[in-house]
Amino acid sequence: MALTLLMFVAVFVSLMLGITSFSFSEVIDTLINKVTDTPDNSIKNTVLWNLRLPRIVLCLLVGAALSVCGATYQSIFRNPLTDPYILGISSGASLGAAISILLGFDTGLFGIGTIALLTALLTVLLIYKIASIGNRMHTSTLLLTGVCFTFLITAIISFLMVLHQDKMEKIIFWTMGSFASASWNDVLVVAPCVIVGICVAIYYSKDLNLLLVGSETAKSLGVDVEKIKKHLLFFTTLMVAFAVSSCGVIGFVGLIVPHCIRLVVGADNRLVVPYSIFVGGIFLLICDTFSRTILQPAELPVGSITALAGAPMFIYLLYKSKKQL
Amino acid sequence: MIEVKNLSYSYGKKIIIEDMSFAISQGDFCAIMGPNGCGKTTLLKCIANILPVKTNSIFINGKDSTTYSIKKLAQQIAFVPQHTPLDFEFSAFETVLMGRNPYQTHLQNESQKDWDIVEECMKKTNTWHLRFAPLTEMSGGEMQRVLLARALAQQTPIMLLDEPLSNLDISHQFEIIKLLREISQNEKKTILLIVHDPNIAIRYCKTLLLLHNHRIVYHGDIEEGLTVQNIKDYFGVEAMKEKINNQTHIIYK
Repeated sequence: MALTLLMFVAVFVSLMLGITSFSFSEVIDTLINKVTDTPDNSIKNTVLWNLRLPRIVLCLLVGAALSVCGATYQSIFRNPLTDPYILGISSGASLGAAISILLGFDTGLFGIGTIALLTALLTVLLIYKIASIGNRMHTSTLLLTGVCFTFLITAIISFLMVLHQDKMEKIIFWTMGSFASASWNDVLVVAPCVIVGICVAIYYSKDLNLLLVGSETAKSLGVDVEKIKKHLLFFTTLMVAFAVSSCGVIGFVGLIVPHCIRLVVGADNRLVVPYSIFVGGIFLLICDTFSRTILQPAELPVGSITALAGAPMFIYLLYKSKKQL
Repeated sequence: MIEVKNLSYSYGKKIIIEDMSFAISQGDFCAIMGPNGCGKTTLLKCIANILPVKTNSIFINGKDSTTYSIKKLAQQIAFVPQHTPLDFEFSAFETVLMGRNPYQTHLQNESQKDWDIVEECMKKTNTWHLRFAPLTEMSGGEMQRVLLARALAQQTPIMLLDEPLSNLDISHQFEIIKLLREISQNEKKTILLIVHDPNIAIRYCKTLLLLHNHRIVYHGDIEEGLTVQNIKDYFGVEAMKEKINNQTHIIYK
């Protein structure tokens, strides 16, 4: 409840701030005009409705997707250091983005987003195929294969960048993540997948708790372990692939947000998953608002802001878990 | 209650269980013994259907175990593994509450009935005072009792326990085994447990399932099964059997 309120406050503040700042009443007026269908051709309307609001909505969606996926992965792999990119989504998407930037496919249906999505999904599929033995998948093999592929693909991207130094900056900026080009179209593409992915994660949140106490115990407590793992991996991975292809690789959200929530509400995924939706979305929205307002009119990559805020958090967590041992 | 017919199991080419057949009747308190690596744990996991078994090899209440849905089977058999991973902090209460999962649908929350059952089971195992404590901060004995409470909360007629006494000191070993015997007597539960100490087994358990080289070499009354000859043949240890105050003791030479 408080989180929903906080979300609305964050959305409002983010709508007000920017290169041209608006007052609270201006924002309200413009939105009311939109809702009541009053013709309004002011710049205010364009900026708020076509630039800021889609960006804000996309932020909330991507933040929620990354955090929910992180919480899910951490439970499936029973590894607190897992993040949504562990299975190679980010490196796969980056490779696709790099290739499309190099080939000049920047916009349109076969633009960066589509190619990044395809390469991301292909990479995950490949890793999954390599790591699954027969019909079962071995989680530590899956993680190791993912990490190996990430290194391999990062090396390929570095190689590509050295060969094409003129495009280097663009590739680097894409991999650091940005919402600068967000449009309602992006929202329409990303939203369905994210909503389905989140629903699946909520549906299985109790089973996720049981997976945390070991797959054998989970099975003896009536959890269809293999089926649930596959469903969860499929839907959460798909949602993150869509998210990443729309805005690039934004780190730390998926790793840190679930941990922060666990510190406050405990390990029960029936709380961690729903909280992740809101906290992840709000956190990313705040970071993005900072990224576009701190050095106006220049924009910082949002990935660097989340890392700046996230890295100290992460170090603190590592320190704390070391103390536990 | 439990019927095993010509059960075989292998990991790849390595045979772990070879053609085992036996039946366990209701209310039995059965010790599974045998040297390390003879297939005890695998046998328990096969019965619990945690490892995939062939059809028509294990029958629970006369029905092929592979025809049960995972939830329905979890209402029949509770399984406590030897190791429980502790990567995330759940409290004892949350852990025991997980035992109610076989009776709930995905989005259903626990009912008052579930809470009452959990309280009852935790009181029975003397863990109610630990309910808010995280499992990660418990001693071996406390944790074993919490896991027992979870198995009880499952309200199954059958309980399978993989070395519930390992890692426990002598007093806690007695505490847990007495508790198990009480449960088997008072609630007519069928309990199979893997134990290593012949003195504890002979004192508390009713029957013995002795495994050696992936086969069953003895199944029956535990007093008659734990002979000096069997201990020598299957464990390679010379021993004597003495009755002191009407209680059989195994003494190693």
